[in-house]
Amino acid sequence: MRTILFATCVALAIVSPLGAQQPDTTRKPTSPADSARQRQVRDSLKAVQDSLDLMKQIEAAQSAPSQAPQSQPQQTSGATGATNPRLLPDFSAVGDFVGDLSPNGTTQEDATRFSVREVELAVQAVVDPYLRGDVFLGISDLEGVSIEQAYLTTTSIPDLEIRMGRYLMPFGKQNTTHRHDLHTIEYPYVIQRFLSTDGLKGTGVWVDKVFAPFGFYQELQATAVDRLGDRVDSLTTAEPANKRLGGIGFSARVRNYWDLTQAANVELSFSGMTGKREQPLNETYAGILQASGVGANAALARQSTVGADFTFRWRPLQQGLYKSFILQGEVMRQLNSRSPEIPVASAPAVGYVGPTYAGPTRDFTGAYGFARWQITARGFVGARYDWLQDPLQNGRTFAAGSGYLEWYPSEFSKFAAAYERHSRLDALGQDRILLQATFSLGPHKPHPF
Amino acid sequence: MNHVIRRIAALALALGTFGFARPAAAQLKVVTSTTDLYDIARQVGGNLVMVTHIGEGYQDPHFIEAKPSFVLQLRNADVWAFVGLDLEIGWMPLLLDGARNPKVRLGGSGYLDVSKAIPVLDVPQGNVDRSMGDVHPLGNPHYWLDPENGRRIARLFKDKFSQLDRKNEDRYEANEKAFEARLNAAEKTWAPYLAQIRGKPVIAYHTSWRYFAQYTGMRIVAYMEPKPGVPPSPSHVFEVIRDAKQAGAKVVVQEPFYDRKMSDLVAKNLGGTVLIVPPSVGGARDVPDYITLMTKDIQAVAAALR
Repeated sequence: MRTILFATCVALAIVSPLGAQQPDTTRKPTSPADSARQRQVRDSLKAVQDSLDLMKQIEAAQSAPSQAPQSQPQQTSGATGATNPRLLPDFSAVGDFVGDLSPNGTTQEDATRFSVREVELAVQAVVDPYLRGDVFLGISDLEGVSIEQAYLTTTSIPDLEIRMGRYLMPFGKQNTTHRHDLHTIEYPYVIQRFLSTDGLKGTGVWVDKVFAPFGFYQELQATAVDRLGDRVDSLTTAEPANKRLGGIGFSARVRNYWDLTQAANVELSFSGMTGKREQPLNETYAGILQASGVGANAALARQSTVGADFTFRWRPLQQGLYKSFILQGEVMRQLNSRSPEIPVASAPAVGYVGPTYAGPTRDFTGAYGFARWQITARGFVGARYDWLQDPLQNGRTFAAGSGYLEWYPSEFSKFAAAYERHSRLDALGQDRILLQATFSLGPHKPHPF
Repeated sequence: MNHVIRRIAALALALGTFGFARPAAAQLKVVTSTTDLYDIARQVGGNLVMVTHIGEGYQDPHFIEAKPSFVLQLRNADVWAFVGLDLEIGWMPLLLDGARNPKVRLGGSGYLDVSKAIPVLDVPQGNVDRSMGDVHPLGNPHYWLDPENGRRIARLFKDKFSQLDRKNEDRYEANEKAFEARLNAAEKTWAPYLAQIRGKPVIAYHTSWRYFAQYTGMRIVAYMEPKPGVPPSPSHVFEVIRDAKQAGAKVVVQEPFYDRKMSDLVAKNLGGTVLIVPPSVGGARDVPDYITLMTKDIQAVAAALR
């Protein structure tokens, strides 16, 4: 850079005497063309002079003894150098321990009374001047090691964020919060049944734009993902859902946020997503398909979900360490294709006349309401009410009420106890008692507001 | 159909004019994490800058909620000035990520870690872990309660504003000098109060009074918190009372956002008082600026120790 500057200055210095041979610039112009020419010459001479001055300043600065700026004190925190000279990423771990003391036996997926439900390992760092990277690995007895989230995020595009990789889908309020960081021990039932038991993830591209044309915060989050929902290993379709672009998943969410006062605020958001998912075929028809050489037992059916969520928060600024309140609710409606395209059997289905599609042929609605009150600096009580038309029970109504006690010894650990009562008596009984302990090691990045 | 298209075009034009249009960028837009930085930035920038702040003076700066409305403040900021030393670690990353403003990210022209200009106290030596409470591995971040650091902050703002707005360099310099002159004049009036404070023992709630103590000569003999960020336990309160009695301390100095029950208990046992002092500008109604903050705090502590 210095060489280029020097060469430029030398060239200009050579040119400058030539300038002296130009017509006298102080002479009054005789025509508009003369006037423009003289102005051009004057500008050239000024540029040459400025370059030479700059060169002199640079030389003077280089030859002067190094000197701390007067406004900087001699010994400052900056004087100790970089705090991360090896540019190591942030490593952190979160442990999530769950106990199930339900009177009619454990209600956990892995049938344990006590389990380390998940250990989450996170590696997070800025990749380069344009991107940052976040990787979250989930380790559990049930699923082994899995990529929970792994994404690149742009950092240098003004006003816009693009994320590429796997992430918790921005659908509804609670789905983007890691399970161990929820205010309750498990996701609300509507999320478990309509999205996923441990949060719906997607792999693809996420575009996020913040705007405020009406004076309040608005955010649009749109994604395109490889597939919508968890893969069901036992279901095989004639062709993969993502074979055609129309089969991949799309989602959009619009967040609206208002400060009511300094202490209170409200968020009202709307979400929607659509994609094709594997749905089972009638077993008999699947057998006929098998016999005719079509190795499929499932059809691709479009499933769309729409939802709205509301959150009210109150935290007085001066007593914010001791008092706070959250009221939250989400409602979702799952819309299912009634007559998806069924794979055709080449062999005649002799004598078979029954229905062939065994997936959901109706829509389902679900919702929850949750409130949490801070009672001490570290203690909270909460309650949740769940209601839904259960897709796993062909729309049978399910309701549950639960109460929570939470204690945070610090920001980095939490103990929780929950009692839950279901409206429906099934094999698991009506009552659940759950315990939870979570801890966080290392510089875990704060979770979204 | 044409009618509909014309209406849509008119609406788009209206939104462009009133909704999305931005005013011409005449002033530097500065956002600060605390009210103390806000006031000093305002003094140095004068009407050449537009300053807003995230935290309030009566709020614990460690625990500010990263509200989306703050993202809007940072979205168009030219300068983000923050205390540093991990004071804002719990909420700042969310706001900076949300703002999508490369100017105020680490490495951007407007990213201003004010602690870089400060000689920091209480930098832990040796191994550090969270058994030590909310320890700040880079040192104690409550440095603005020393007027010498107030001057350093003002000079840093002058340098940053001058760097970003060269044509007004002289005005920033003049404003900064005027601020220092006002601070110097105020400092002269503090002398009798400082004489009353120097060497006197007190109990502090949190380590936020370390720089204030260094400047005033106030002697902190015990902390209500057993470890930074950890509320006082009964056994610790017993130790505080014992240590305070030995040192002859009778005043508990604490911020308005901490629960005062335990402090009242200690003061009662010592036959002393709990002094609620604003640690930041706006921490009390009559503390609108930095020089008033220092003046009022020094006067209040001197009165309590008299």
